[in-house]
Amino acid sequence: MEKEMDEHHHDEPVEDSEIRDWKRKMMWSWALAIPIAFLMLSERLFGFSIIEMPYSIILILVLGFPVLFVFGWSTIRGGMRGFTSFYFNMDSLIALGTVVAYITGILSFSGIVQDYSGVAAMIMAFFVTGKYVEALARGRAGQEIRKLLELSAKKARVLRGNREIEVAIEEVKIGDIMIVKPGEKIPTDGLVVRGESAVDESMVTGESLPAEKKKSDAVIGATINQDGILYVKATKIGKDTFLAHIIRLVEDAQGTKVPIQKLADKITNIFVPSILVLALLTSGGWFYFSGDLSRAIGVGVAVLVIACPCALGLATPTALMVGSGMGAKKGILIRKGEAIQTMKEIKIIVFDKTGTITKGKPEVTNIHAEVKENYLMEIAASLEKLSEHPIAKAIVEKAKLKKFREVKGFKVLRGRGVEGKIGKSDIVIGNRTLMNEKKISFKDFEKVIEKFESQGKTTMIVAENGKIIGIIAVADAVKSDSISAIAQLNEAGYRTVMITGDNERTAKAIAKEVGIKEVIANVLPEDKAKKVEELQKEGFVAFVGDGINDAPALKQSNVGFALGSGTDIAIESGDIVLAKNSLEGVVQAINLSKATFGKIKQNLFWAFAYNTIAIPVAVAGLLHPVIAEIAMALSSITVVTNANLLRRKKI
Amino acid sequence: MKKRILIQGMHCASCASNIERSLKKIPGVKSARVSLMIKKGYVECEDSVSDEDLKKAVARTGYRTVSIEKE
Repeated sequence: MEKEMDEHHHDEPVEDSEIRDWKRKMMWSWALAIPIAFLMLSERLFGFSIIEMPYSIILILVLGFPVLFVFGWSTIRGGMRGFTSFYFNMDSLIALGTVVAYITGILSFSGIVQDYSGVAAMIMAFFVTGKYVEALARGRAGQEIRKLLELSAKKARVLRGNREIEVAIEEVKIGDIMIVKPGEKIPTDGLVVRGESAVDESMVTGESLPAEKKKSDAVIGATINQDGILYVKATKIGKDTFLAHIIRLVEDAQGTKVPIQKLADKITNIFVPSILVLALLTSGGWFYFSGDLSRAIGVGVAVLVIACPCALGLATPTALMVGSGMGAKKGILIRKGEAIQTMKEIKIIVFDKTGTITKGKPEVTNIHAEVKENYLMEIAASLEKLSEHPIAKAIVEKAKLKKFREVKGFKVLRGRGVEGKIGKSDIVIGNRTLMNEKKISFKDFEKVIEKFESQGKTTMIVAENGKIIGIIAVADAVKSDSISAIAQLNEAGYRTVMITGDNERTAKAIAKEVGIKEVIANVLPEDKAKKVEELQKEGFVAFVGDGINDAPALKQSNVGFALGSGTDIAIESGDIVLAKNSLEGVVQAINLSKATFGKIKQNLFWAFAYNTIAIPVAVAGLLHPVIAEIAMALSSITVVTNANLLRRKKI
Repeated sequence: MKKRILIQGMHCASCASNIERSLKKIPGVKSARVSLMIKKGYVECEDSVSDEDLKKAVARTGYRTVSIEKE
């Protein structure tokens, strides 16, 4: 029952074929409808009839027949089915309107009614044209999402035995080693086993800077290898890949509803039957009061064809489609349409600290050296290389040594630091406790240590033979764009709050650095949701955090932003998922949501206004049926085109 | 259980809302949403609801089911 991803590839041409189909119908319809128009209008245009009555009516009936029953057949059949199944749709209105009009042509020979058969063909031709233009515009609305579908690689070069062979992407198996040359697409998700290169991941994460990849780094399928050869072991294939997840996420969002649409939906549900009844009453009324059957039929047909449930029904989905496509391009994945509407109610934005505001991984931020800095780092890194502690790793990473010094008698002193011998020197690296223990005086450095600690940093004191040679400060550094993103949110009037399990001092230092005034520190991970709930008493709360540890808080919040990192994407939590691990995405997502919701409101307003004005005008008999049909076609085209205009908005 | 239905033949908003209503009438279907834009229906239903039931509900309104996938 499970279908592979390529099901999506199959339905993509369906859209093209739909457009082609409407186009073909449109061309043929007009080839016949234009001569019909001349026949109908010849008297008014040229002052005489090209063909005498009743032959002109016969000709119109003959020319009009294929317009309705060949090129318009799918519409007539679909619409008429509604009268047996009682599931009426848009087609039911057009079908009834055109068939009734066509029949008047036949009845006109008996002299009871005036001939409307030409009008029937014109209505169908305009209807088909409207559908064609609408299908084009709808296709455009989904273009970003389509591009995502087309992003995946088609081929891969894999190592089989000792030979490089090119295979179709479907034939790549988990564990295969793929060879990716510069400029090529990485075929599927995997781990680098050999080689180093910069990889452009912008197409899936929206991150514009290329990511450096080396051995054992994860790479994402469909991203582009820029400068080195990479040997990548495939870890995920088919519908399990990162890209497949993103596509599914974006698509599924189209199946969610934006609450504001509810009324429009309710109206759409009863729209067609109501119009059928209204058209009947209108015709009956006109006949009763004027006694003119032809006029009564004409007005009835106008009412049938002017009513447009499509504008109402398309208002929200098209705007949502364009909006989420725009987001997807930037790595902003809107999972729930509701989030777009809720976004404008948000007053408070709560940020998780570790991994959200900060990089989530300690880094050396300051080095205070009493000796040459290179020497200090060489000594420190050589010792720390032997430790597994994250702080040790940060020091090793910072030193970027090609060769490490030989260490003898290395010992980890839990919770305090490390010690060992390099050459003839005794080296001790650790905190105050360790220095006190080793009777190493750090009085002269108290000020430096204090300064770093007040910034929320962890300090490591490095001593050689009982003398301090330097201080290294390590901290979970703030992401480069956290400061600017939070500044923008503050400026926009949001109350920004940071929540963390860290102690008050560290937390406050980070908060100050990024410009957050409110800090909730010492919070256990499981209590984050409770804190969000408390804040919700004061207004709508958005929560920004990683999707895994913060899942309950994301769920509790009114709008949850789940930050993805690399290939991990937490799909289940978060109303909006940010593929790029950066807070800039939050600002963009808020702007995008507001712009999209604005478009939805505009569209709904237009659709409601159109129907409430146009229908009474038609009932009053002020509109020719053909003009009514043109107005109807234009109204749904307007809605879809307006949704496409969302792209002009910069986010 | 959540299911995704790929539907062919929809071309207007009423089409989508018809299919939605028809799907909701199946006993055991908790929620149904149909998107005209991506031509898919999303159904949340009990395990007792078979693919045949869903196909029939789609067909009743005059459209064709291309495929059904389970989540």
